[in-house]
Amino acid sequence: MNKILYSCIAEVKRAIRNPYYVLWSLLIPVCFYIIFTKVFTFNDNAADQALWEAHYLMSMAAFSVMGSSVMTVGIRLVQDKQQGFITFLKVTPLPEYVYIISQMVGQSVIHILSIVVIFFAGALLNDVSLMAMQWVLSGVWILFGSLVFLALGTLVGTMNKVETASGVSNILFLGLALLGGMWMPLNAMPTLLQDIATWLPSYHYANGPWEIIRGNSPAWNNIFMLIVFLCLFMVLSVYIRRKQEGL
Amino acid sequence: MEDTIVYAHKLSKTFKQKEAVRNVSFSIAKGEVVAMLGPNGAGKTTTLSLVLGLLKPTKGKVQVFQQPPQSMHVRERIGVMLQEVRMMDGLKTKEMLQLFRSYYPNPLALSEMIALTGLADADLTKKVEKLSGGQRRRVNFAVCLAGDPDFIVLDEPTAGMDTTSRAKFWKTIHHLAERGKTILFSTHYLQEADDTAKRIILLHQGQKIADRATEEIKHQLSRQYVSFRLNGKLNRAKLDMPDVLAIEEREERIYLETKNTDALISYIMQHFSNAYDLRIDKGSMDDVFETLVQGSREK
Repeated sequence: MNKILYSCIAEVKRAIRNPYYVLWSLLIPVCFYIIFTKVFTFNDNAADQALWEAHYLMSMAAFSVMGSSVMTVGIRLVQDKQQGFITFLKVTPLPEYVYIISQMVGQSVIHILSIVVIFFAGALLNDVSLMAMQWVLSGVWILFGSLVFLALGTLVGTMNKVETASGVSNILFLGLALLGGMWMPLNAMPTLLQDIATWLPSYHYANGPWEIIRGNSPAWNNIFMLIVFLCLFMVLSVYIRRKQEGL
Repeated sequence: MEDTIVYAHKLSKTFKQKEAVRNVSFSIAKGEVVAMLGPNGAGKTTTLSLVLGLLKPTKGKVQVFQQPPQSMHVRERIGVMLQEVRMMDGLKTKEMLQLFRSYYPNPLALSEMIALTGLADADLTKKVEKLSGGQRRRVNFAVCLAGDPDFIVLDEPTAGMDTTSRAKFWKTIHHLAERGKTILFSTHYLQEADDTAKRIILLHQGQKIADRATEEIKHQLSRQYVSFRLNGKLNRAKLDMPDVLAIEEREERIYLETKNTDALISYIMQHFSNAYDLRIDKGSMDDVFETLVQGSREK
């Protein structure tokens, strides 16, 4: 048990000391938020604008957490593999799966910080006001939903080169964010893209808090699709790892 | 059998048609210090990887502490230093050493890890990725000792170390050997094998070509030479005798290879009145090595 605990603590330290964390997970989402709610405004009446400000805040929180899940975990695992560290772990008493889990847990702890910072930015910059329950539920959804993208991160982590992993995870991350409606509202996009979105995990991920801030509960469909993607990514990741072991 | 630490039986490993290790067997008893010696590409790292369970043998079997090498029991009792491992970034040296200690049931005291590896206080508070190459090797060595291992495996441990660190490192290894640790290390430096190991396993082109006590290998195969200078020309016919194994003339000296230097010297004194500046040269480990490798080629 101690192994897991100490590994998780170490991973939290590593995650927070990562210089890219502050940039990608805090600064960029907050900047986007300012640009799309303060600089460009699409809404004429105040009520719509207030809803948009809350909606886009959730988009950015989901965007931040999804990004650090896919990118940080994936690239770090590949880096550790390339530097011989994963091989070295096999001759220590720390099982590789514990190492991967501690990466996921460490990253999740950091996600709490990301969510809090971005929510605060929304409350301070745009006076976004939600019921306490809505804040908490949205935060919890974003935190636990990120498991899907952490699993996707471990799938990226099976790659052999840092350059490939970083390229692939960038495309995945930005593609998922754009097509899932995190950057601009889905109803502003062509119908074809809207249809594609309903098949993407990013859309189902962000749609949870989008519904919550409107006073609805997330659709079962969203939960179902996230679980399907979680299982898919986990099974693929485990399968590829097993196959690589065989060498 | 209780005291057998490693049991390797007819190990072979083939990578895509290329046979890296062929039919290698050996066992290592508790408390032995064994060097795995061979030129680059001899199969040392592959053999160690098989012993550690990092690779699956194509054929053959290996056990460590009477168990498969991947088992948790083995992983808790061995300490390993592999080539070119970069530890996780973002952690300070001390944090990382503590982290690795937490993985083992009976870890070595942190103070002892630091004392044994000669890490300075300044290195301990630095992040691992900020350390120099030599300091990183020390950190890897400290991590290797984190679990107070009974069996220590080191793959080319001194590669990239300067002379001072190297001397300090081997001093620590001697100290650990005195404490009764079993040690297996690979090297292509003959001197290191000779100075530290009591036994040498010699690998060449994936095969074991010798496995004996270091002294024995040296004694049995060491070449000895009697050499002298001569006023006038050498009459080779006079040297046609069993004690002379080979004759070589270079740099105005005559070198005679022999196993019996004493008898040969007195023979020369008696029969070559024009000989002067007699010398005896004992073969170095490098010569032994050459002989063994050549011997295996001729087979």
